[in-house]
Amino acid sequence: MNKKLVQIITLLVFICSPFLLIAQNADEIIAKHIAAHGGAEKWDKLESVKINGQFTGFSEVKDFFSVKTSSGSYYSEYYLGQHKLIEGFDGKEGWTIDPWQEILFPRKINLAEKNVLMQKAEFFTPFYKYNERGNKVEYVGKENIDGIDAFVLKLTRVNGKTETWYLNSETYLEYKCESDWIDFARGLPSESYFDDFRTIDGLVIPFYIERTFWQRNRVTVIENIELNPEINKSIFEFPKSKEIEKLEFMSGEWDVKVDVWSGRRGDWFNVGSTSSKIDFEAVNRLRENISYEVTFPMTKILNYTYSLSTGRYKLAVFNDLYSEIDIFEGDFNNGELILDNTNVNFGSTAKEDSQKTQYTISKADDGSFSIVEKVSTDDGKSWNPAEKFTYTQKIK
Amino acid sequence: MKRKIFGISILIVLGIIHPDNANSQQNENTNWNQFRGSERNGLALNASIKDTLFEGSYQMQWKKDIGSAFSEITVSGNKIYTMLSEKIDSVSGFEFVAAFDAKTGNEIWRSQVDSIFIDVDGWGNGSRSTPAVDEEFIYSFSALGKLTATTIKDGKNIWQVDFVKEFGSTRPRWGYSTSPLLVDDILIMEVGGTDSHAFAAFNKKTGEVKWTKANGNAHYSSPVLANIEGQNQIIFANGGFIYSYNSKGDTLWTYKTPVRSAMSMPVVIEQNKIFVSTAAAGFIILEINDNKPKEFLRGSTMKADYSSCVYYKGNIYGFHIAALQCISAETGEKKWTKRGFGKGSLIIVDNKLMVLSDTGKLIQIKATSDSYTEQGSFQAIKGKSWTAPSFANGKLYVRNLTEMACYVL
Repeated sequence: MNKKLVQIITLLVFICSPFLLIAQNADEIIAKHIAAHGGAEKWDKLESVKINGQFTGFSEVKDFFSVKTSSGSYYSEYYLGQHKLIEGFDGKEGWTIDPWQEILFPRKINLAEKNVLMQKAEFFTPFYKYNERGNKVEYVGKENIDGIDAFVLKLTRVNGKTETWYLNSETYLEYKCESDWIDFARGLPSESYFDDFRTIDGLVIPFYIERTFWQRNRVTVIENIELNPEINKSIFEFPKSKEIEKLEFMSGEWDVKVDVWSGRRGDWFNVGSTSSKIDFEAVNRLRENISYEVTFPMTKILNYTYSLSTGRYKLAVFNDLYSEIDIFEGDFNNGELILDNTNVNFGSTAKEDSQKTQYTISKADDGSFSIVEKVSTDDGKSWNPAEKFTYTQKIK
Repeated sequence: MKRKIFGISILIVLGIIHPDNANSQQNENTNWNQFRGSERNGLALNASIKDTLFEGSYQMQWKKDIGSAFSEITVSGNKIYTMLSEKIDSVSGFEFVAAFDAKTGNEIWRSQVDSIFIDVDGWGNGSRSTPAVDEEFIYSFSALGKLTATTIKDGKNIWQVDFVKEFGSTRPRWGYSTSPLLVDDILIMEVGGTDSHAFAAFNKKTGEVKWTKANGNAHYSSPVLANIEGQNQIIFANGGFIYSYNSKGDTLWTYKTPVRSAMSMPVVIEQNKIFVSTAAAGFIILEINDNKPKEFLRGSTMKADYSSCVYYKGNIYGFHIAALQCISAETGEKKWTKRGFGKGSLIIVDNKLMVLSDTGKLIQIKATSDSYTEQGSFQAIKGKSWTAPSFANGKLYVRNLTEMACYVL
């Protein structure tokens, strides 16, 4: 090795050494932090936790419970003021039932909410196996905060969001965290404080977490932690709204017999068959795409939903033969959903249409169902059969 | 447990603790007759209470259920006053101003002053404002915007002004919340009306408008009276401005403030300074010389939301969002901070902070910037507690949306 090469290597080592030192510092601190939490060996054995306690939001103290798994799943039920909230997260996608948004059925969470559920889904510290999960950590330095000397670590999560953690330099336990949080589904910065660390089966866990963001204050007081309980993983899945779930019998892949009504014969006669797929595209929406031919070929896209504002089912039908969208409204009673467009307005004006349509969807005991289309020329006083679709299950 | 009860009984027998003489030291303050006390500063310094607060050191005089409201309890003579509301069905009801016997908590009279304000957000129904009491009348302000004078003797309504109808005021989202300010023979109010009716002075006896000033909507910060350079100054923090008027309605000064839309009341600091704080922007201290305000200090170490701060011996104590905090009024430096009381409220009695947590726990803390020194605590009332305590005649009064209580300290 010539002298010049030695000089270059020496220079490179010199230039890189502060970064190596910092990296070493961060990992050393985290190793002591994990040890302070009971040690990696203990955390390795943790598959799930069930937490009960009290949550204070808007100064109202109410019971809460949550479950978490080592795969990053999370479920919680808690009260925020007067409303009960439910949150679920499978490690990738999440949902919530949040009456504060005046939506009483489950909805998908937005990106800001997802970032928060990722934080909530952590068992307790995000530094446990942080690198295996794609997170990065940078040692920022030491800081005195509220009279406590703290190591400051910057955590960058896999989603690119950064958090600043303050670990007590004596105990190596977390004192404070600055991270993005949400207030009524809108993202904003927050400060979290951790206290009352207790040892549960060798794991050291903060039983008091206080979080402030904007002028809000939330306090979580843990009362009981169950380690490695049996968890029914279905609780993390996106639930359907209770009302739309009543139409579960329509979900699936179907062979469909198409009949039309013969007024002369006074009976149905078959004009062909087709197939159809009906599935839940959203928590409160069932979607069908069907193509068939009576006189002309046509494709219909049907969306069934339940309106909280009217307390009734709605059906939106796009008919590509006429390039029209029609809206129907109705109720589900005794296994039968009946919808019509006699009282449906488009915007502020009623649609001018001399002929009204009614759909009757009836569930059969053998797992099949039928949709009978009727028409009325006297604004719904009397209905005459027009078409009938009989759905027989292809695949359950 | 039996041993503990026996011990306390012995102390009572020996006269060391006596329910009626629990505060053996003389208490001189006799009134807490308006929002934040007679001087509107949250201080009862001419009182003397014990240096500790523990079971047996205080005596619960009474505890009563009360209709929903956020009004503080005001004290004048042997009566206490506050506001309350009662629903008659899910959407309607009434707001009342009421007088109670200070010794027993028994209701003496109540007077209906308005329909109930139902909070759509569910924070709590009824009045937000604290009534002010003088020798003859009690002045209340309903959450729907009616200012009413009622006789303290028998609860008879004498005059009433509807801010919405008479001044075109628009009700704030969470209801009218500011508290009447007594200044000599006039009553000062934030009105939030149109055409230079942001603020008004009323003849206390008749309700006649004496003067009106400025443009601005009704908000949540109550006016305060300061004596600066020998003259009374009525201070309002409204929107993006801080205003000062004398009792005749002359504008003394106006200051465009970066600390906008305060909800808590401005705090007067010694001779010539005014402290205004908000949860969003932190605080500003103005220094006033020759009716000219200038920024003395600005900082983020005290972000007060709806709970007003107190100034005591060079320091400001208050809730920095949800952390009880002491900061220097000279430098803004944070002296100490203590979490765990939620978004509580506080006053100073003797030389102690009396802090009511937002869940009804009463905590006594030494009022010093040296360190956080807790002298005891107990659960005074249960449930969401956003109303600051009051103190008069050796008794501390607390309330929330469902109950009120009196403690002899």
